[in-house]
Amino acid sequence: MSAPKKRNFKIEAFKHRVEIDPKYAEKTWRILEHAIHEIYNHNASGLSFEELYRNAYNMVLHKYGEKLYSGLVATMTSHLKEISRSIEAAQGGLFLEELNRKWEEHNKALQMIRDILMYMDRTFVPINHKTPVHELGLNLWRDNIIYSSKIQMRLLDTLLELIQRERTGEVINRGLMRNITKMLMDLGSSVYQENFEKPFLDVSASFYSLESQEFIECCDCGEYLKKAERRLNEEIERVSHYLDKKSESKITLVVETEMIANHMQRLVHMENSGLVNMLVDDKYEDLSRMYNLFRRVPEGLSMIREVMTTHLRETGRQLVTDPDRLKDPVDFVQHLLDAKDKYDKIISTAFNNDKAFQNGLNSSFEYFINLNNRSPEFISLYVDDKLRKGLKGFSEEDVETVLDKVMMLFRYLQEKDVFEKYYKQHLAKRLLSGKTISDDAERSMIVKLKTECGYQFTSKLEGMFTDMKTSQDTMQGFYASQSFDTGDSPTLAVQVLTTGSWPTQPSPPCNLPAEILGVCERFRAFYLGTHTGRRLTWQTNMGTADLKATFGKGQKHELNVSTYQMCILMLFNSSDHLSYKEIIQATNIPAADLKRCLQSLACVKGKNVLRKEPMSKDIAEDDAFYFNDKFTSKFFKVKIGTVVAQKESEPEKQETRQRVEEDRKPQIEAAIVRIMKSRRVLDHNNIVAEVTKQLQARFLPNPVVIKKRIESLIEREFLERDKVDRKLYRYLA
Amino acid sequence: MEEETTKKAEMVKLISAEGFEFVIDKQAAMVSQTIRNMLTSPGGFSETQQGQVTFPEISTHILEKICQYFYWSLQFASGKETEFHIEPEITLDLMMAANYLHC
Repeated sequence: MSAPKKRNFKIEAFKHRVEIDPKYAEKTWRILEHAIHEIYNHNASGLSFEELYRNAYNMVLHKYGEKLYSGLVATMTSHLKEISRSIEAAQGGLFLEELNRKWEEHNKALQMIRDILMYMDRTFVPINHKTPVHELGLNLWRDNIIYSSKIQMRLLDTLLELIQRERTGEVINRGLMRNITKMLMDLGSSVYQENFEKPFLDVSASFYSLESQEFIECCDCGEYLKKAERRLNEEIERVSHYLDKKSESKITLVVETEMIANHMQRLVHMENSGLVNMLVDDKYEDLSRMYNLFRRVPEGLSMIREVMTTHLRETGRQLVTDPDRLKDPVDFVQHLLDAKDKYDKIISTAFNNDKAFQNGLNSSFEYFINLNNRSPEFISLYVDDKLRKGLKGFSEEDVETVLDKVMMLFRYLQEKDVFEKYYKQHLAKRLLSGKTISDDAERSMIVKLKTECGYQFTSKLEGMFTDMKTSQDTMQGFYASQSFDTGDSPTLAVQVLTTGSWPTQPSPPCNLPAEILGVCERFRAFYLGTHTGRRLTWQTNMGTADLKATFGKGQKHELNVSTYQMCILMLFNSSDHLSYKEIIQATNIPAADLKRCLQSLACVKGKNVLRKEPMSKDIAEDDAFYFNDKFTSKFFKVKIGTVVAQKESEPEKQETRQRVEEDRKPQIEAAIVRIMKSRRVLDHNNIVAEVTKQLQARFLPNPVVIKKRIESLIEREFLERDKVDRKLYRYLA
Repeated sequence: MEEETTKKAEMVKLISAEGFEFVIDKQAAMVSQTIRNMLTSPGGFSETQQGQVTFPEISTHILEKICQYFYWSLQFASGKETEFHIEPEITLDLMMAANYLHC
């Protein structure tokens, strides 16, 4: 059996009523061609859409699509050739207008033609891969008008000339410009780019290259930047008015390159008006302009930043190494704070709070603050000054602001432990002399240090506060327990200081006058009675006393003196004149301190309750001292200060430094042991790196010192050198 | 008076091969892409000016069906899904007309 015969289904074309007249196609096309002519001649109003559509429909249906399509191309081309001639003939300024008018007309005609030929567009075009009518119309326009040899260059020149005229300040017809550039964009982005954008960018580049050269010769930096900014904004505005949006980045790039990137170096370093001058003179507006323009070009901001930090480092270095500045620590720190404020303001107002700039600022400060190893001391002195008197009358918030600023400087310090040392000393002085003006401010500062450096850093400082409080309670207890009349004997106020919390140097107690000694002994008995197992030693090198004294003519004064001075003055109760040697024997005060005390008692004008023979500025070993009967003062209370250097003298400084170095040793050792305990084996360089990392919150350890500590630990058999590789250390548990 | 003219503007007249006139909403007529072009194309074709279209190749009963379809299509587009019934004997003619009218 053969397979069933395959039947081919064939759908026959619908038998249309229109009979196939051999001349049918020609006739129909004539009708349509005529209609196209009429459309181009603005005569379409009488035509019947339905009739034209039906004719085109039938032509396509009867397979005359090709004829219809090629006929359309030929007819449109001939019309466009004619249009081209009329545009070419337009004179001067009318050229663009004529082009624009014809373009609008063509567009309208094209739409009508597309509508009546819609059936062809819908069926014939996609099947035969032809260009759709609308696109065909644009392409024909492009090829016959825009690419016409007599129009192409003329169009470009006209456009560029108009833009050039606008750049020099003339008003041009922006609407017309927009229509023309829109036409170029409609014809395809490549048409816009090739026939307008590229030459436009080239011409702009040479224009701005020339103009920037001219500007830079005759303007200062600020003025130049102003002009550059204006040009940039003009170009952006131009794009928004009559160019393609995509052109914006391209033309701004041209302006940026020609006006900024190419002249960056020269602008920043311009004499008398460059970046450094702007910084010095706080020219926020100019700086902000520079920032905003330079951020547009690569390397622009890093350049500003570099110049700024170099300048900062240089001026900072001068500031901290200027010997004049070192005379007044408070002024020194105030200058640092002012500089910080100044640059903070510049960065926040002109540099958009840029993080990179803030980092640059911080690193610069860190760099130059640590150039001067007295910075920690001075910062502590600054706080001391503020907490003693400087903050009087300030509101709580103001105090906080000042302290916060100080903390900011503190953060830059590498040797935070040195600061701690000094701070402790200064705090002790403030507390013991009762000079601190605000307990809240003191505590607030401690809290700030604690949050910054941790509990360990401030535990001793806090201990000092506790001691002060306990002492107060103890004194109340002491006087409550004393049943006898205290009216005649001296009033004693004792501050019991925990050894270790306070920066006291043990000094041998001097001989106290008998009157005082009695009260002291009673207190000792009371204190040890309540706290067994403790030891009390008197720190006679500290403390103050108020003495009532009567002078020659019976005038009474109250003298506020130090403990040592009190001991000296009490001697004069029983004798009118004493030699230096007698005094030192009777009191047992260390010679250096004694000299200082005597100096302030005898040599300071207006406070000279003693008279010295011979009269001179300095105290010699064979001087004699007399009670000064002729002493007068306007005030009832006379405060006799000791000649204390606010700032540390050179030997004191050395001593503090040495103590700091001593304190660092155990910390470095502890760090080494901690690291080795977890690593077991490590080479030298890595240990140094890790130790530095661990300790940098407090100070920057010296590698040589670290090496010495390692050696000491090896000696004490915490570590050993590896037997094979001598560079390796091993932890011995 | 005025109301009438605006109303008139929103109505269009479709005329069949036999000269039968259908007055329908312009909105409905524009379901057909072809009629839409006829009524909106720039340049003032006579159809746009007069608000009427003559179809010398579409007979009355087909055009009537098409007008029904226009209204049905509007309802369908607004979410009312009903069946549109087509008598088998007019199917071919109707398809031809739909192809012509692009709807």
